[in-house]
Amino acid sequence: MDDSKNRLNEKKFGRRTFLKRFAQAAALSSAASATGCIGLIQNNEMLQLKWKEYFKKNYRLMTPQEKEETVERLERLAKIEKHMDIQMSSQNPINGVLFGYAFNLTRCEGFMECVTACVKENNLDRQSHTQYIRIFEMEPGGMSPETGNGKYFHEVPLDNHFYMGVQCFHCENAPCIRACPTKATWKEPDGIVVVDYDWCIGCRYCMAACPYYGRRFNWSASQVPYNEITKKQHYLGNRIRPKGTMEKCTFCVQRTRAGKLPACVEACPTGARIFGNLLDPDSEIRFVLKHKKVFRLKEDLATDPKFWYFID
Amino acid sequence: MLILFGFGMLWVTADVYTEQRNVLDQVKQSTIHRKDLNQNDFAQNLPRQAVKAEMKYQGGDFWTESRKDKVERYPCYTCHTNNPEKFKGAKEMVHGDILLDHGGADKPLSCATCHLKDNPHLFKTADTTNIDMDHSYDLCGQCHFRQKQDWIGGAHGKRVLNWAGKRVVKNCTSCHNPHSPLFQKRWPKTYSPPIDK
Repeated sequence: MDDSKNRLNEKKFGRRTFLKRFAQAAALSSAASATGCIGLIQNNEMLQLKWKEYFKKNYRLMTPQEKEETVERLERLAKIEKHMDIQMSSQNPINGVLFGYAFNLTRCEGFMECVTACVKENNLDRQSHTQYIRIFEMEPGGMSPETGNGKYFHEVPLDNHFYMGVQCFHCENAPCIRACPTKATWKEPDGIVVVDYDWCIGCRYCMAACPYYGRRFNWSASQVPYNEITKKQHYLGNRIRPKGTMEKCTFCVQRTRAGKLPACVEACPTGARIFGNLLDPDSEIRFVLKHKKVFRLKEDLATDPKFWYFID
Repeated sequence: MLILFGFGMLWVTADVYTEQRNVLDQVKQSTIHRKDLNQNDFAQNLPRQAVKAEMKYQGGDFWTESRKDKVERYPCYTCHTNNPEKFKGAKEMVHGDILLDHGGADKPLSCATCHLKDNPHLFKTADTTNIDMDHSYDLCGQCHFRQKQDWIGGAHGKRVLNWAGKRVVKNCTSCHNPHSPLFQKRWPKTYSPPIDK
């Protein structure tokens, strides 16, 4: 009897608890040595927040309350660290919505206003010149962006050329999701493939698995000038990503779940980009699918992208 | 035993993959109309300068951006009265900034192709009905009927701000200069760095 009681007691202070406490002690002592004791007292709140942030769950396992809490913590941390008032949301997908995108190859003229709008909206790193969208200048007859020129910089449109925009296609059967060893990336019910930046370990398997070059790796937290930061953020979207994580187009989840258009669609000066709800037979995207000649890239891979190209 | 195990594994993996529903199947089975969605989620006021289009698209009524408030010298009849004061060079002085490059070299358009001579704020049609300046899509659609069909459906032009809620789209003249409608060549806004591959 005594033996089993002891064992029970032992279990209470198990490996996990021990590690947790050990890590706590180590973090505190290292923080104390790094900042000095006075700094420690001043940054007490920040340390507590960071501590809780470090041990939070994967976003998909969080209860609504936990989502609320982590969003609040991140807002508070931005206030303390960067003196910035951001509004972060953890808005859930809307029922009966599946987002789809269409790109008009006849209309795009390569002005690249979508790219600048995307960089601005999603707080992309200005230092490494990260871009989620690439526009390729294509010879007539070319069907694959690999044959196009993605580095053009001259007056556009060039005669006898067309332009093809490529970004994350939000595949229904996405290879990147299956490649992720930590389940840090998944498909939301409204069809958006998202990344939990705090669960990503930066192994870049998903980048290798994506046949469309849709994902980007950051080598540093995004460097954005203070007054250019987009303050309306989403946990799964355009918040300032921590260093060493994968990021990608999220169909501007912070905008589209509020009913607005993605930044690229809004910025497009030629109306080449069409966005809407695939489940709604009245939507523009459904009109395009019904009445236009559409195709998807590398359909033979059965990735089932929700991004169609069409010609007028 | 091994064979059985193998079949079992196959069955399990097959199950994982068939769980995925094809997008097109989902699209074909969907019966959710815009009005069925909770419109309160997208409570949206119409922009101030929107007019109701005279036709319906597949989802019902829609709105388009107005034009009159963007024309500097509107209303036209402040100058174009019944007894206009005629002086030399008036046309160049007032409308000299308009570059008319519409219709190509074969069939160049003139002012009077679209504008009524007596009431220039109204547009001509092939028959005798006149078109209001805010509803210029009716005028443009006489020649560009395919673009008009696409515009009504949503494959040409674009929505303003929202994908959900009330449908407000850009007018023809929101994007095209009606007098020289072709987009001019210009420098792209940015460039892409090379991919390291």
